[in-house]
Amino acid sequence: MDQVLADAAERIFRDQCTKTTLDAAEDGEFPERLWQLLCENGFQLMAMPDSGAELADLFAVLRVAGRFAVPLPLAEALLANRWLGEEFGGGETNALNTVGLMAENGSSRWLGVPWGRAARRIVGVADDGGVFAGTPVAVNEAVNLAGEPRDQVEVQDVRPLPYAEPAPALLALARVAQSAGALERVLELGIGYAQEREQFGRPIARFQAVQHLLAMVAAEVAAAGRASDAAVAAIGSERFTLEVAAAKSRVGESVGLVAEAVHQVHGAMGFTYEHQLHHFTRRLWAWRDECGSEAHWQALLGRRLCALGADQVWDFLATSS
Amino acid sequence: MLQFDPVQLPEGTAALRQEVRDFLAANADRTSAPNSDFSSGHDAEFSARLGERGWIGMTWPKAYGGAERSFFERYVVTEELLAAGAPVSAHWIADRQSGPLLLGSGSEDQCARYLPAIVQGRSFFSIGMSEPGTGSDLASVRTAAKRVAGGWRVNGTKLWTTDAHRNHYMIALVRTAPADGNRHAGLSQLIIDLAAPGVTIRPIRNMAGGEDFNEVVFDDVFVADADVVGEPGNGWSQVTSELGYERSGPERFLSAFRVYVEFVRLVGADPERFEAAAVGRIAAHLMTLRRMSMSVAGMLENGKAPNVEAALVKELGNNFEKLLPEIARTAAPLGGDQERFRRTYAETLLLSPSFTLRGGTREILRGVIARGLGLR
Ligand SMILES: Cc1cc2nc3c(=O)[nH]c(=O)nc-3n(C[C@H](O)[C@H](O)[C@H](O)COP(=O)(O)OP(=O)(O)OC[C@H]3O[C@@H](n4cnc5c(N)ncnc54)[C@H](O)[C@@H]3O)c2cc1C
Repeated sequence: MDQVLADAAERIFRDQCTKTTLDAAEDGEFPERLWQLLCENGFQLMAMPDSGAELADLFAVLRVAGRFAVPLPLAEALLANRWLGEEFGGGETNALNTVGLMAENGSSRWLGVPWGRAARRIVGVADDGGVFAGTPVAVNEAVNLAGEPRDQVEVQDVRPLPYAEPAPALLALARVAQSAGALERVLELGIGYAQEREQFGRPIARFQAVQHLLAMVAAEVAAAGRASDAAVAAIGSERFTLEVAAAKSRVGESVGLVAEAVHQVHGAMGFTYEHQLHHFTRRLWAWRDECGSEAHWQALLGRRLCALGADQVWDFLATSS
Repeated sequence: MLQFDPVQLPEGTAALRQEVRDFLAANADRTSAPNSDFSSGHDAEFSARLGERGWIGMTWPKAYGGAERSFFERYVVTEELLAAGAPVSAHWIADRQSGPLLLGSGSEDQCARYLPAIVQGRSFFSIGMSEPGTGSDLASVRTAAKRVAGGWRVNGTKLWTTDAHRNHYMIALVRTAPADGNRHAGLSQLIIDLAAPGVTIRPIRNMAGGEDFNEVVFDDVFVADADVVGEPGNGWSQVTSELGYERSGPERFLSAFRVYVEFVRLVGADPERFEAAAVGRIAAHLMTLRRMSMSVAGMLENGKAPNVEAALVKELGNNFEKLLPEIARTAAPLGGDQERFRRTYAETLLLSPSFTLRGGTREILRGVIARGLGLR
């Protein structure tokens, strides 16, 4: 993993992803300055085959992005450039490209397109994982429950892309990495608030009930982080899709517990729009259902294990490290 | 932020794993337990066979019969045994923590006297921490040892001592000097021969019907100076240093594993979507827990004392051990051959209240984690 890239991304995010930027993006304003800064530093090209970066580096950057609730479709923009390649205009300019799902195979109506409204080119992922390039002609704006644009887009000039990667698993892994990062931030917010808020003459962190909530949160966040790392480490291996399935499931389970507990710790303050907590918790709630919910990936993993049979299950589990 | 670095099992562990599986297959008559709880199968003969293979005390110095192998190799052996439901209770405590305690804090003479028989799977140890008035608050132990010529006289009662009625020794935490304001001072660990005069052991039946734990009463039991572990008065720091070993191993998330195996067998090769999802959900937990537990093994291998990380793995693992039977139960189909699943499920469910108690309760572990987070 390239720590220099992750650190460079972190500096930019820390500077740019203020509450004001997050609020503005939710009001529909594309964070142009942030995007341009990232492009000046070459991030839009980092997932392209000859960028010099590993695919794993992309997910390291996405984890950092999760920590800052980066209001850009970073995963989709970078993966779109990868799949479009130079031939189809990937990374050609600083224009935004993105990725959506085909309503049905061959359809020109693409769904859940992150920032489809601001995109120049779109990659559509079919049910079977095939990827296609398309040019947007009409956009129906929509958002997920975090207020992140997830548009419906009519496209034209649909052409198949010569990519044999497991696109659905890579997109799911993006949500896993983003969530792992956002979960870390939510834990930090919970600890910070508990140490600073006083009731009954002392910080609420002194109360055992609060300590236990945050201990449980820390355990869930650590599990999510470990699950995410394991799936990233499996990129390129035979088991990649199954590892992503496990990670998407495990991280999704953490999300519910962590968001609930850390809101409880924050009291009414965390229920205000003014507080930043919801920018993270709403994203977590949205992301656990995007790119396949827990149940979707659990069933995929479970089917494989059932096909192996009861007496082979242990071997499957024990040959992952 | 707590860090759980990935570890790669060293080369050669795949072959070792296969050896253990072959051994288990050859001993299938003794390994058909319907649950994988580490403390419910006591089989001295099985332990002796493991000892013959060199799979007890694997990481210990060769001078004491050990094999000087890595924590990862030990990890592979222990997880294979547990996953198969093998009866490991007899040697488990001696291998996991009594031996390492003696190596870390005991005398050379103690290591020479006790470790070789442990390695052979012929000498079994119990943990003597809890008492009638002492559970989570371990420093409150009242069992006391008074100085006499050449050693100590011990009086008091230990409670919940797993396998005391079948094992040879107990390492007991006792008070050897008054607390004098610091309740962690004046505590010592003694090796007590459970066959010594003055020791009375009474098994206590548990709610699952088993008789595994005991009340152990000491009435003027003599313990020689040579059987005090470390310096008298140093008991508290020694007992807390055992916790990394005690809390993070595969036994902290595999207790219910056989329920999973039988659940997969019951749903068959072509499950409904919700059945498949239950199978996948459990697998996702297991994959993550195993990796976290191995990360802690890596820290132990590197000589660290990962007490907070171990508490965190135990907290997650014990909760999961209770969740697993519940996921399986609620997703189990009506038809099919239910017998094995029902039996394993029932046995495990009846044992499950103990999962979040033994080795430190969930509440105590959350306290340890909270301290690690800087909250207390
Ligand atoms: C199957 C089994 C085997 C065992 N084997 C052994 C053995 O071999 N050797 C041995 O020494 N012991 C053994 N134990 C005992 C075990 O270590 C104790 O059960 C454990 O330490 C808890 O003590 P307790 O049962 O007295 O509960 P208590 O400490 O009385 O606790 C009761 C409840 O109160 C909670 N509580 C207590 N203090 C606090 C606090 N400060 N904050 C919040 N909540 C608190 C606990 O979490 C628990 O929920 C075994 C126990 C079981 C169940």
